[in-house]
Amino acid sequence: MLKEQINKKDIIIRNYRTSDYQATLEIWKNLNELMGVEFDEEQWRESSGLRQFKPNLKRITMIAELKSTGEVVSMGMIEAVKNTIGRYIGRLDNWATKKEFIGKGVGKLIAERSIQILQSWGCDSVRINLAYTADKKLLEVFGKLGFQPILTVLEKRF
Amino acid sequence: MGDLFNNESLEKNPNEDLCVVYLLYFDEKKGQIPLFIYPDDLLRNNRKYMRPIHYHPVWFLETEDLDHIDLEYKGYTFFGKKFLTKSERTKRRAGLEFKTPETIVLIVSLPIELEIFGDDLISKLTEQLRDKFEDQLFEVIESEIASDTIIKTPDTIGRITKGTKIKVLIRKLIDNVIKEYFSSIIKKKSGSPSIKTQRAISYFALKGFELSLPRSLKGKNRFSTIELFDPEKQKLSGKLPLSINKINLLEKSHEIEFTVQNNTEEELKNISITITHVQEFFEKEVMNQEVDVWFPQEELLFIVPKIPHIDDYLFSINERDVDGYHQKILNQKIDLKLLDKITNEI
Repeated sequence: MLKEQINKKDIIIRNYRTSDYQATLEIWKNLNELMGVEFDEEQWRESSGLRQFKPNLKRITMIAELKSTGEVVSMGMIEAVKNTIGRYIGRLDNWATKKEFIGKGVGKLIAERSIQILQSWGCDSVRINLAYTADKKLLEVFGKLGFQPILTVLEKRF
Repeated sequence: MGDLFNNESLEKNPNEDLCVVYLLYFDEKKGQIPLFIYPDDLLRNNRKYMRPIHYHPVWFLETEDLDHIDLEYKGYTFFGKKFLTKSERTKRRAGLEFKTPETIVLIVSLPIELEIFGDDLISKLTEQLRDKFEDQLFEVIESEIASDTIIKTPDTIGRITKGTKIKVLIRKLIDNVIKEYFSSIIKKKSGSPSIKTQRAISYFALKGFELSLPRSLKGKNRFSTIELFDPEKQKLSGKLPLSINKINLLEKSHEIEFTVQNNTEEELKNISITITHVQEFFEKEVMNQEVDVWFPQEELLFIVPKIPHIDDYLFSINERDVDGYHQKILNQKIDLKLLDKITNEI
């Protein structure tokens, strides 16, 4: 059964502020408990979500806030990385939604706004990294937004 | 030669402490040689003063490629300009002819607080020098070369005397240009001074130059129209428009993280961030980032790689005005030795 979807007009999508730190930390901790999402609390610092500029990289953390209560319900990072041939590749990363709001379309709302931003930065394409064992349903959800699988990334951990 | 400039009869120019002017030429045998230094020619023997001069990027530029080129070094900005002048002397290197022009370099050093005046001052000095001494500078060079010879013939002595006389006139000219220039800018009316101008005014005030009283105390017979930066006003308006809130050194990734905030209630546009460090006397850029829009009260994070063995960095924020000119909003020196180290980062 489909959960009740959140309406676009009930949500404010904005940049991360340091005052969002506690709320975002809670979302990650809960996801960690609920789904075993890899999250290292020490790595998520107050400044980690600020709009960030590095040589050849731009990053923004998007926050979805309920208009009525000001509650932070979802977050996602977007970044544009300049590759070796000077092309900007966009990436959606570190997506997390409060457990009560999972499946209500909040992530999709942030993703739509994020894609617009990445386009305005001059990105030719946008990529999302998914776990190799990711749910097929997840692939379908992203497929509806125009994302198609093109690569398989192999990783060796140290 | 230094005695020439210690003449007690010469009246001390009250503005001479504000800047140092180096007039140099390119010697085909020895490289860059100072012709003289204003206000005190003895500075040529002072390594501290001469170091940035020898390494100034102006030496590596083609003549008159750029109007002038600057080097920021230890709280001073060195404005350098290169130009060619007439020559009628036998050169000491094959391939150079009797009439091959002389390469002259003029460097003006100003405290960083007064750098706003550098462009104007060096243009005025160059213009006057070229106008009045373009045909005579090679004679000063000849006298400089002659003074190095061991055996001095009457002809050599004659050349040295001639060159010395010209130097006295050049010194007088530089003295006048500086006196007039700084007097005019101190008196100049400044309706709504930029941050750079305010910084310069504060510097003048600190050095005891004549400035006006605060607006509230001004009477009809005020002696200057310049307005001092009122610290009370600044207190009321709060912090600086942009401030560095935090600097972290990220150990794992060997990066430096600067958190900078827009303290105003307005969107700032066309801001550029430059992070540089000085290596072997050259200013090297590690970041030059344009920020199209900076939202009110927003904090931004600028991350740059840490350069091995370099601890001093310079963080500058500039705003591009409607005419395309850059205006410095913030300039802060960072010493990494004084920072906290962070071992975990995302």
